Amino acid sequence: MFETITILVFLATIGGIVVHWFVYPVGAECPGPIRGIVRVLSLLLIEQRSSTLGALKKLCYLVSVICFLLLGLTGFYPVLVHGEHISGWLMMLHATLAPVFAICLAILGLTWAGEYRFRQGDCPWLQKLLRRVTRLSIPADAAEGPCNCAATTQKIAFWAIVVLALPLILSIVLSMLPLFGTHWQEVAMAAHRWTALVFAVAVLIHTYLAVRLRILQ
Amino acid sequence: MRRELILALLLLPLLSLTLVLGQDAEEAPAGKLGDKGDGSRAHPTHLIPLFPANEDGEKGPQIDPEGDPVLPFSTKHTCGECHSYDVIKHGWHFNATDVNAPTGRPGEPWIYPDHKLGIQIPLSYRDWPGTFRPSQIGMSDFDFTKMFGRHMPGGGPGETKAEDVDNIDIGRQYISGLLEINCLACHNGHFGQDMGGVNGWAVQIAVKENYRWAAAASSEFAAVKGSAAGMDIMYDPFMPEGEDDEPQVVYRDGAFDADGNVLFDIVREAPNERCYYCHSDMYFAHGEGHDEKWVADEDIHLKAGLTCVDCHRNGIAHQIVRGYPDEVADSNNPLVATTTCEGCHIPEGSDIPEAGRLGAPVAKHVGLPTVHFERLSCTACHSGPWPQDDAVLTKTSRAHRLGTPSVNKAAEMLPHVLSPVFAEKDGKIQPHKMIWPAYWATVTEGEVQPVALDVVEKTVGKVFEDLELKANGDWPGISPEQVAEALKALNDAVDGNAVYVAGGSLYRLAEDANSVVAEADHPAGEPYMWPIAHTVRPAAQALGIRYCTDCHASNAPLFFGSVAVDSPIASETPAVKDMVEFQDISPFYAWAFSASFVFRPFFKIVALGASGILALVLLLYGLRALGAVARVLAEDE
Repeated sequence: MFETITILVFLATIGGIVVHWFVYPVGAECPGPIRGIVRVLSLLLIEQRSSTLGALKKLCYLVSVICFLLLGLTGFYPVLVHGEHISGWLMMLHATLAPVFAICLAILGLTWAGEYRFRQGDCPWLQKLLRRVTRLSIPADAAEGPCNCAATTQKIAFWAIVVLALPLILSIVLSMLPLFGTHWQEVAMAAHRWTALVFAVAVLIHTYLAVRLRILQ
Repeated sequence: MRRELILALLLLPLLSLTLVLGQDAEEAPAGKLGDKGDGSRAHPTHLIPLFPANEDGEKGPQIDPEGDPVLPFSTKHTCGECHSYDVIKHGWHFNATDVNAPTGRPGEPWIYPDHKLGIQIPLSYRDWPGTFRPSQIGMSDFDFTKMFGRHMPGGGPGETKAEDVDNIDIGRQYISGLLEINCLACHNGHFGQDMGGVNGWAVQIAVKENYRWAAAASSEFAAVKGSAAGMDIMYDPFMPEGEDDEPQVVYRDGAFDADGNVLFDIVREAPNERCYYCHSDMYFAHGEGHDEKWVADEDIHLKAGLTCVDCHRNGIAHQIVRGYPDEVADSNNPLVATTTCEGCHIPEGSDIPEAGRLGAPVAKHVGLPTVHFERLSCTACHSGPWPQDDAVLTKTSRAHRLGTPSVNKAAEMLPHVLSPVFAEKDGKIQPHKMIWPAYWATVTEGEVQPVALDVVEKTVGKVFEDLELKANGDWPGISPEQVAEALKALNDAVDGNAVYVAGGSLYRLAEDANSVVAEADHPAGEPYMWPIAHTVRPAAQALGIRYCTDCHASNAPLFFGSVAVDSPIASETPAVKDMVEFQDISPFYAWAFSASFVFRPFFKIVALGASGILALVLLLYGLRALGAVARVLAEDE
């Protein structure tokens, strides 16, 4: 069942991203796929702000993207393609990259949390509702501004990633400690699998929106 | 009148029905009295007459201790009065020669050793891969019984009749008799049951060929003198001449009551000592001077109060539970599915609670990733001696004649059995006992077939007659040149293509005929292995109880222990193999994976630390969000 659902979810996510890209094209001039990829990569690699901390954050993001790709491949490939548990060299690679990814997630969570706080203007319909049901003085022009759905969705994806990172990491780490018997080991494994699936979807959406917003900027 | 007529009409059908049912009940097939219990757990008193087998093998008249001749009792005709012998003989201990019997999981073979001829060859009637049929080395069922009947409960090859085969001397068999199933070997509760004593079961068979008398000799109420082996071919055991050297049974005074019955101490549940006679192990794992049974602990199940037969149960069919996974495919015993390690310790999938059978603690396996249950058998962590750097020499009752007179107690006595060897079978790593076969053979159309023992004795035996044999029964250390000489001598007898298999290699004569060429790791020389089930260690002595590095370390015995390549051929640098070579794992991967466990604690610290930071971030911003919600709900600007 997990294999089937995973394949469907990934197809739906990637399909949704592709459809969204074409239905809502970025800007008037579409650079084309190759130029677009080069531009995105250069945006990722070249720090726009010259501070050392900024460069480290960008590097951390780059490492986490690579780790995510490899972890996703090593984690999902044997399950989806061979119908087996991860084992052998794939498992060793997965276990080697996992702590690196965990560190990067912690750093990114810490450094980006402020930037991804929800603010006024993130959700105009919510402000309109509050203006109607409470006595809070919310300026009407701010409440009626256009919805920046991409940014809001990106923030939601970010917090989903942070929230899901906890069970994703803890389900494995706690199973390594002499705490859980066989039944709870199986529950932990299942939790790791399903959390990884939702986590991957959140990362895909976040990354897509990050690229999209970067291009728009 | 009308009333009587109606009554008769009503009763008539009822009467007919009764007659019909009664007839069916009478015609229903019934086992013998003792085939099925009535539910009482008390042991029935066996005060019973004794019956012998006559000249034709049929039931003779009741034994009179004062009669002439006094014959030994036949278990087939004594015990068989109440228990279906023909059903019992299809049971696991007795059905080796039954071509219709399932072979089951490969187990311990019979091993024929000869240190002078450089032979240790695994034999079995069950066609287990890697074993040879006794007939392939020219051994008849009669000879096999003489060689190995000491640790058999009778039946099987002991009951092969000379008239049904062409390699048993009918005259010798008439004198010795058939080796019937000895029910007392398992079911005698009396301390006087004598299997390995100087006049017991083993000696009667192996030395005296007193097959007909062996069961009586093993009992506590009879003694057997004389020897069938020493009798002339014309001797008739049913018309003895009264000489002292003739095989004869003497029943103990007072064994028979006034009616000529004998009181047996029969138990349904065989005592552990009965099983131990054939199923004892000795691991030479505790260092020199510590190689006695009192140094090693018994199986934890026994110390916990169970007996062997609490798990290894059977009904009249004697399809005894062996206790391995997938035994349901080989046995119709209804208990095989549940009488496994998991069946008692990790029961699942039943509508009713089954945990705790026989007092079994339910295994929690705290901290053990579930992948271990897919890759390892239960015995890998729980059975056999604690793995050491090297697989150790091991003795078993059947291979080394344990419990019989004049056993060579040296650890090096042949056959050389090594254990534990962690090898992969049926997709799981499990501990095994192992022997490296050594035998003389021919190669015909690419197939290696052992040469008959008498041919080897006449040819190779002559070449090796001056070999200095060791007192401890170890290999004398044959040189490759001596092997070449032996092959030359053997070639003449077998018309060429003689080879010698030893230490995993196949040796042929070189072109110059003065030396040998070895083909290493030849399939014909593959070691024969059989899984270890006992001795089960306590849970506190299971592999992994300390830390993962019990197995996942670059020097852990499970993967990197050494297994000596045992060979009769002397070598300055004895070959060894790593355990991982017997598993379906790349040695480099095994090493790399084990080495990575050095970083495991750091992995946990890093992951927990990262989780801590993420949790704090969530806490901080979650509280801020909660604050905002609270302000909105309070309509606080």
